[in-house]
Parts: sequence; C-alpha cells; structure tokens
Amino acid sequence: MERSETGTITRRQLLAGGLTGTAVIVVASCGPDANNAIPKGEIFVARVKKVPRLDPSTRDWEYGPQATIEMGSQEMALPTKKVPTVTQLTVRAVHDGTSIGIRIEWDDAETNDLTVRVDDFRDACAVLLAAGAGDASVRAMGTPASPATLLHWKADWERDVQLGVQGISDVYPNLSVDTYPPLIVDNPTEITPMDYVKAGATDWLPGLAVGNPLSAPTRPTSVEKLVAIGFGTSTSCKTQDAIGAGQRTKKGWRVAIVKPMTASDESETVLHAGGTATCAFAVWSGKDKDNGGHKSPSVNTFRMRLEA
Amino acid sequence: MVEVMNWQLNRMMAYPYEEARPIRQAAAVFDTNKCIGCQTCTMACKTCWTSGHGQEYMLWNNVETKPWGSYPLAWDVRELELLGPQHWNGDTYGGKTIFEAAPQGKKNIGWQPTGLDYAYPNRGEDEVNVTLTVKRYHLKLPHDMWFFYLPRICNHCTYPACLQACTRQSIYKRQEDGIVLIDQERCRGYRICMEACPYKKIFYNHTTRVSEKCVMCFPAVEDGIQPRCMRNCIGKIRSFGFVGTPQTARPDNPIDFLVHVRKVALPLYPQFGLEPNVYYIPPVHVESDEFLTMLFGPGARAAINTYQNAMEGNDPELLGALLLAVSTDKIISRFKVESDSVIGWADNGDEVVRIPLKVPIIERSAFDENLKVYRYNIT
Ligand code: SF4
Ligand code: SF4
Repeated sequence: MERSETGTITRRQLLAGGLTGTAVIVVASCGPDANNAIPKGEIFVARVKKVPRLDPSTRDWEYGPQATIEMGSQEMALPTKKVPTVTQLTVRAVHDGTSIGIRIEWDDAETNDLTVRVDDFRDACAVLLAAGAGDASVRAMGTPASPATLLHWKADWERDVQLGVQGISDVYPNLSVDTYPPLIVDNPTEITPMDYVKAGATDWLPGLAVGNPLSAPTRPTSVEKLVAIGFGTSTSCKTQDAIGAGQRTKKGWRVAIVKPMTASDESETVLHAGGTATCAFAVWSGKDKDNGGHKSPSVNTFRMRLEA
Repeated sequence: MVEVMNWQLNRMMAYPYEEARPIRQAAAVFDTNKCIGCQTCTMACKTCWTSGHGQEYMLWNNVETKPWGSYPLAWDVRELELLGPQHWNGDTYGGKTIFEAAPQGKKNIGWQPTGLDYAYPNRGEDEVNVTLTVKRYHLKLPHDMWFFYLPRICNHCTYPACLQACTRQSIYKRQEDGIVLIDQERCRGYRICMEACPYKKIFYNHTTRVSEKCVMCFPAVEDGIQPRCMRNCIGKIRSFGFVGTPQTARPDNPIDFLVHVRKVALPLYPQFGLEPNVYYIPPVHVESDEFLTMLFGPGARAAINTYQNAMEGNDPELLGALLLAVSTDKIISRFKVESDSVIGWADNGDEVVRIPLKVPIIERSAFDENLKVYRYNIT
C-alpha cells in the first residue's frame, strides 16, 4: 500500500489490515481498543516496541494515530502575528516506555534553511510539553507553576547536520578575505568556527565564546531542548538529549523529534506510560521572517495521553 | 506603555518601561565641523571589535557623507518616511516618536534591512547636496553647495528602541554608565532589535547567528579610559564623558557644558524619541535650516551661532571645552579655563591635561639667511 506524501494512513486503515501483517500484530498488541475513538483535543501516543529515531518517513510512525492541529494567530505578546502562515499541522506520536517520538508535518512551499544573511530567517517547528492534561494556562510558554519543555526543530540546524555548519561562503561564494587576524592562513575563506576553537581564539566569535547554542561550531542534531516559564523566558537546557530530523516533502516539511520520557534538567516535563501531559505546537515560517513570538501557534493546547 | 520624560523633546512620551536613568550616562560630543572623513575611527573600532568571522560587513562605527551617504542604505530616509510628518512647536516636539507611531501589534515602527543594504558602506562619499553647474562658486559661509561627514556609533540611548523591542530581555542598559549591551548568551538572533533601532546600530553576526552592537569600549571606560574611536580621532572631533539631564547638568563637566550650558551639541534625529547620547555640533557651512532641524532638532541654528562666536574668540570657556577633545586618553570629568589654558581633571581629581587656548605662532621669513635657501613651508 502506497503511503501518501502527507502520511495520511489512519489508524482505522491500519486496523482494517491495510498494512503488513507484522504491523497489524504490533498495533493489535499495543494499540488502543479499535472502538475507542480518539477524543477531539487529544494527542494519543501509541506504545510501540521502539520509537523511530532519525527517519521522519519511516512507516513506523503510522502506529501513532494522526491528529490534525489547527494553527492560529499569536496575539498574546508584541510583536503579534495576526494571520498564521501555516494553518494546519498533522501530528503522530509514539512512545516505547523510554522515549517519546513526535512527527510533525506541514505545508510550506519555500525552503528556508539558512540563517547567515541579515535577512535570512529559518523555518522551524516546536512541541511544547507540560504537566497536566491539556491545561490552557501553559499555552503562553508555560507558567512558573507549570514550566514548559520545548522541543524546537530548526531548518538551519538540519542543514548544518546534513551539509556541515553553514557559513558565509554558503551565501556569498565569491567572498574574498585578506585575513582574519587571529588565524593567519593561506585561504582565509575556508576557515570555520572550529578553527577558532582549535586555535583558542573564540574571543573573536563572541556568541561561541560564551556558549550560545546558536553559535556552536558543530551541530549534532537539529533539535534544541529548552525550558520556559512564560513568554521571553525560554532557556536552552544543559542536557541536550532530544534529537530529531527533518525532511522536505513535495509539499513542505516532515520532522521527527525524539526525547527521553524522563527529565534530565530542572523544570523539564516528565512523561509516563499510561499518563497524561499537556502539549501544544508552533511553526515558524522563514519567508515571513518569523522568529521568537512571531510564529503560528496551535489554537489549542492538547491533552497528551500516553498508552500504558 | 508608560509616560517618561524625554528632555530632548521637551515633553513626556510613551515608552514600554518606566524612566530609569543610570547613575551616570556615557555620552560623546562630535564636532562635525572638524571631521575630515578619514575613517580612522572606523578602523580603530573594526580592528578592535569586529575583525572576526561573521563580522565582515559590520561597522559599529561608520562615517557617512551627508546629505547622500548612509549605512545601511538609506537608514534614516526610510525611518523618517515611516515616521510621517514631524514638527516642532518651538522647543517641543509636536510629532510622534517611533514608539508613539507604532502600528497595532507592534511596539515601534521600524524596518528590517537586507544583506544588500550593507553592501555600500561609503555610498555618497564626498557628494555635495546639489548638482554642480558651470556657475562659479565662491568661498563664503554658508556654502553655495555643501556636504559634511557624519560619524556614527550606537547612541547608548536613554530609551533604547533595541532594548524595549527584544522579547527575551537579552539587551540591557548598565546602571553604572548607561552603556547598552546585548547578552551574547541570551540573544537568539531574532533581530527584532535590528528592526527597531532607527539608527540601525544593531548588527547580525553571520557566523554566530546572534546580534551584536557597539559596546562603547566598556572595559576601557571602566578604567577611566576613553573608547578607541574617540582616542584615535585624527580630526580631534570627539569628546567623551558623561552627560546629565538639564536638571542635573554640572557646568564644569565638559559634556554637560557643551550639551546643556552652551547647547552647541545636539542629538541626532531627536524626534525618533530615544534620547540618544551622542551629541553633534552642527556644520556651520550648511545653508539649509530645514535640513539641520530635521537632523539635529530646533536648536541647530542657535548652536552654530554659539559655536562661531567662540571661534571668533568671544567665548574662551567654550573654546576651552572644545579644545579638550582627543587631548588625552583619560576620561575628563571636570574642566576649567584658567588664564590662557584649559585644564582637565579625571574622576579621581588627577589633572590629566592642560592646553593653551592659543597655540604660539612663530613666523619665519621665507628666505633662510643661514642656509641661503627659500623655505617652501614657512609655517
Ligand atoms: S542607537 Fe540603536 S542600538 Fe544603540 S542603544 Fe539606541 S536603539 Fe539601541
Ligand atoms: S577619526 Fe575623527 S576625523 Fe577621522 S573620520 Fe573619524 S570622527 Fe572624523
């Protein structure tokens, strides 16, 4: 059976035997009762043997039922974004008792995966996780009483992972440089941030010198884990144990994000098999110069129910 | 938004944060009449702060030729256009500031530059205001046609647009000296500050992917030493120190004296509403009062008159204050004109400079009797 580009095989189709025998057995053994419809406003996280990791297109994601998420405006904080660029996401989620995996897909005709030029802004998406069972109060990036864990996938980081950390020569291939003072080499245009690290000269790259994750000289994954207790408070976590991968589809992006269900950082949300949590989503569109609060958030928060 | 006092507009204005002036405010006075456009200041800054990867296009200090020059491209024209009509009722600004003119859903007006806007840092260099014709031009004041150099750094504004725009509170204004800095750890490269700063003095680092700006050489300032662009100024146009408000101004503080007592140094585009802290002595040779008022506010012509009066020898105190510019590396916090000299003292009371108001002139005859030659250079 062919899987459509947007991955629209439903759990019902799966249960009707549309997939391979093995899959049906897996679903039948760990899936919810076929007669139990997923309530609106709920993200059901199906239990699987192993959460797929760095392949957003593997059919293993389809064990998680598909949820369609309506995206809206951001009018809670200035500057606002009145009209969402992305109006809809499709989400599937699975867990294996140890890790949770969330796959997000959306339409976006233009790839924006550079953040080198002054006017380059990235495509991105994020999942917000918090305690509770769909509490609307955490929608604005959590609260002091209920901190939010944010899993933020960035298209430019994805490009970094796939093609090497991007730099000026990616956008200005004819760049000519006489010298960069701390590093006297024959071909200065080939210098990378890592060369500054090796030379002990990171003072010349202030963001890198102070450990800003955006300025990192290497990029192990395209997902950043942050915690927040309200607008403007998101802070990168010490332990970066979320991973992910994004792919271009014919229509837009397909992104997989995976993280341990346990918490390794202060204020991080813990997830339990058989338990619930609160989740919400957001998408940034580089072509609209989205960044920070200038984004298309999900209209609602959702109760996330993890299969026992 | 709350109401805060902006003395440069002579009125209260809307700003997102309460008025919270620093203990003292770092400030500078630039005498446009003395700037020779040599760009030594630009290079002093460039070699010190922005010679790394990702900073290639960045000029925290730039010098542009007015009226046509601009970096980034047309920075001021675009902002003025967004701001709409601006008018002064005497000393009071009657138009809107960039905060008051904010459309719904935004904190300020502003525009986001593109990479190309930084591609011509010295566009319009040395171009005069009008098209030259075959008519003969005579040297007179003001000039028939004119241009002047406008050196620019971050203004370390009292009401920074960059700071209030940042949704992460990554930008802060230091209480001890009013210097405005971006926390390099907290910044996420959103560039909302870049859009907000009407002077376009926020820069995006291509490599670290976060924003940077002029730091007013704060490590030097903490040691009582002037910033590099000031110390290295060839034309000796730059005075650095601390500025008060009209209420707290000390007449023996050279910056206060130039800004508040004699009022020869004026803010750049005060109508934006940021209370910028780099003050300019307007160019004496520019005939257009409209242009000068647009740039420096309603006090421009009076400032020129006061300045010229001192140049004609009628105001030794003002002459003395002006002579302190780039006379020492140390920050001068007190000055006095005594007999024929001006004396400057540092914060700790040390005398750091003493300059004669008139440089002794020795006239030599064109023919050297000893060597039996004519001197070509007889100064
Ligand atoms: S000039 Fe611009 S960057 Fe500097 S403090 Fe003012 S608003 Fe901020
Ligand atoms: S160093 Fe001084 S004289 Fe030269 S361009 Fe800069 S401000 Fe003008």
